[in-house]
Amino acid sequence: MIEFENVSFSYTGQEHGGLHDINLKISDGECVLFCGRSGCGKTTITRLVNGLIPQFYQGELHGRVLVDGQEISNIPMYQIAAKVGSVFQNPRTQFFNVDTDSEIAFGIENEARPPQELIERVEQTADDLRIQKLRNRNIFELSGGEKQKIAFASVYAMNPQIYLLDEPSSNLDMTSIQELREHLRLIKKQGKTVLIAEHRLYYLMELADRIVYLEKGEIKGIYTPEEFRQLSEQERERMGLRAVDLRAVFPPKPHSIAPIPVLELRNVTLRYKKRTILHDIGLSAGKGEVIGVVGHNGAGKTTFSRALCGLHKDCDGQFLWESKPIERKERLQRSYMVMQDVNYELFADSVEAECSFGIRNPDQTLVNATLEELGLSPYREQHPNTLSGGQKQRVAVAVSMICGKDLLVFDEPTSGLDFDSMTQVAGLIRRLSNMGKVIFIVTHDFEFVCRTCSRVLHFDEGEMPDDVPVTMDALPKLRELFSVSDGKER
Amino acid sequence: MSGKRHKKGLWLDPRAKLFLILICVLSSMFAPSLAYQFVLVMLIAILGAFFGKWKYVIKAVCFYAVICVLTVWIMAEMTGTLRTMFIAFLGLFHKVYACGTLAGIVLTTTKVNEFLSAMNRVHAPKKLVIPMAVMLRYIPTIQEDWRYIKDAMRMRDVSPSLAGFLAHPGMTVECIYVPLLMAASKAADDLSVASVTRGIENPNPRTCLVQIKCGVADWGVMAVAVAYLIFELCVRGGVIG
Repeated sequence: MIEFENVSFSYTGQEHGGLHDINLKISDGECVLFCGRSGCGKTTITRLVNGLIPQFYQGELHGRVLVDGQEISNIPMYQIAAKVGSVFQNPRTQFFNVDTDSEIAFGIENEARPPQELIERVEQTADDLRIQKLRNRNIFELSGGEKQKIAFASVYAMNPQIYLLDEPSSNLDMTSIQELREHLRLIKKQGKTVLIAEHRLYYLMELADRIVYLEKGEIKGIYTPEEFRQLSEQERERMGLRAVDLRAVFPPKPHSIAPIPVLELRNVTLRYKKRTILHDIGLSAGKGEVIGVVGHNGAGKTTFSRALCGLHKDCDGQFLWESKPIERKERLQRSYMVMQDVNYELFADSVEAECSFGIRNPDQTLVNATLEELGLSPYREQHPNTLSGGQKQRVAVAVSMICGKDLLVFDEPTSGLDFDSMTQVAGLIRRLSNMGKVIFIVTHDFEFVCRTCSRVLHFDEGEMPDDVPVTMDALPKLRELFSVSDGKER
Repeated sequence: MSGKRHKKGLWLDPRAKLFLILICVLSSMFAPSLAYQFVLVMLIAILGAFFGKWKYVIKAVCFYAVICVLTVWIMAEMTGTLRTMFIAFLGLFHKVYACGTLAGIVLTTTKVNEFLSAMNRVHAPKKLVIPMAVMLRYIPTIQEDWRYIKDAMRMRDVSPSLAGFLAHPGMTVECIYVPLLMAASKAADDLSVASVTRGIENPNPRTCLVQIKCGVADWGVMAVAVAYLIFELCVRGGVIG
């Protein structure tokens, strides 16, 4: 049993993410989903249960959090760890080991279980979670979804009574999300208590017993999944929540006239380390077109985007821009990739400096106009790192506009974003499209694709089997590509 | 039980590796001449080859060979201040190079949990061991980060190469260290959180899935290392040659 008694918390030197007067009881074996806008305090709730608050994150804490009658703040971290297992958002940085077996065993090694038991537990865990094929692998070679499975396995091996998951699906593709759901189903069947803080809601609707909606650090409503489904779309969007059921998400009305082609790919073949990644790709894209790129992890989406931007060297075939061949160096000049982790492409110490970074004679009026247009003017003196994820993304887009790039690639622009931020990104992309840029978006986000893209490219097994328009007519195919099931379980 | 982890090449006990580094430092210090220094690098290269690190080894040896030739040439041709300057610099370089090469091999072949349990066996204090383990874990992350940063630099028309660095040193450095620093501070936080919530602070001695054991290979390699050091010392002392 987990009890929150009049809990209030505020982080030192931070306005967002605090909690006010939370009272909540969670019984054993219950599955509770916490949702709400970014910064509503749902992550903070998980941190109070696994002891990271107050032992790792500093701030002002009032009230008590009890697990099985014991106050969490009085128990040392390693004892909490035996009872409460945590899985986090970013699969890249949850690892302590470099190979999968050792990582699965990491927690139980810390518990100092005897070696024979370690081997048995690892074996058992891999069987239960059906991840035998991931055993004894180098973690750096795994995809995001596979990494997340190993992180889950490591916690599972410790066999805690309570599982905490903080936005576990942010970096996962559709298939991995389904597999995550299976794993959650398994632990629920074992009678474990599960607490999940999440933006993506649809995959949890059948698992959650209660849904707690938070707003500005307060509990604004507790729903059963049935009640939650009853909420109208307007109501849900006003609450800042993502789709509850992807079957209720539809493409928009047909787009206007077909755009004039400007970019063309002919027989493009891409190789990475002498292995063919994509074979004989041909397509054309028009000014202002927004094209989604989907496919499993490892299907070649990254290599394709890098080749488009002129970052990938090993490729054959022709790229044409306005019917003229365009070499790699030239593509590099014309294109810009907004990375999933935007931090890698922000170099300067203020937003304004960032916008003119590396440009010999920056056009100050253009810089000002662009900042104004993207709503970044109030932050021009700030360090990019002090901005929110969405704002950083807009800084990167501003850079691309000032450098006069015509071809933009977005890599997973909506991972871990709430509804409001997602619509903002969609608005941004629409604006870029109106400017006549050619835009590619690598994404797993069906809701987002329906809002922004005019067509979707699907990569699989080294080929591009599908090039589907985002329209009502193509809905069955789109649902298939994004694994939007009709409620049937595997 | 050892079959599985030998994916390629040799496996050594982390304790043996630390011992090797120690002997390497001593051998480097006591090397009587450039030739001995070169043999030392060759020995390390052979060890690296056993680990299956061919590329690394070939690069390391070739680079060192170039430096050696350069050194010989400078000694023969140059005079005056320039010579002194180069000799001071190269002297230091030669002393460090062998150890650096070996450290590179050790870092890339040691698993974090093996290292943790080896340190546990020799009763090293946790305060010392945990930061070292985090560092060991962090190195491959930098490689990954570097790939993204290189892409980002190219798109901003900053060349991530030596030539680019020479042309715009300030800007290139900024491009590398700002994102790297940001990524590092976040990764460090995440890593600590992930390890703390899985009980790394448990005061009881931790166990390990992989049983570390000093085997024939370990003793063999250590014997070779010690033998080489003794040989060097003998040459120095004038016992041989």
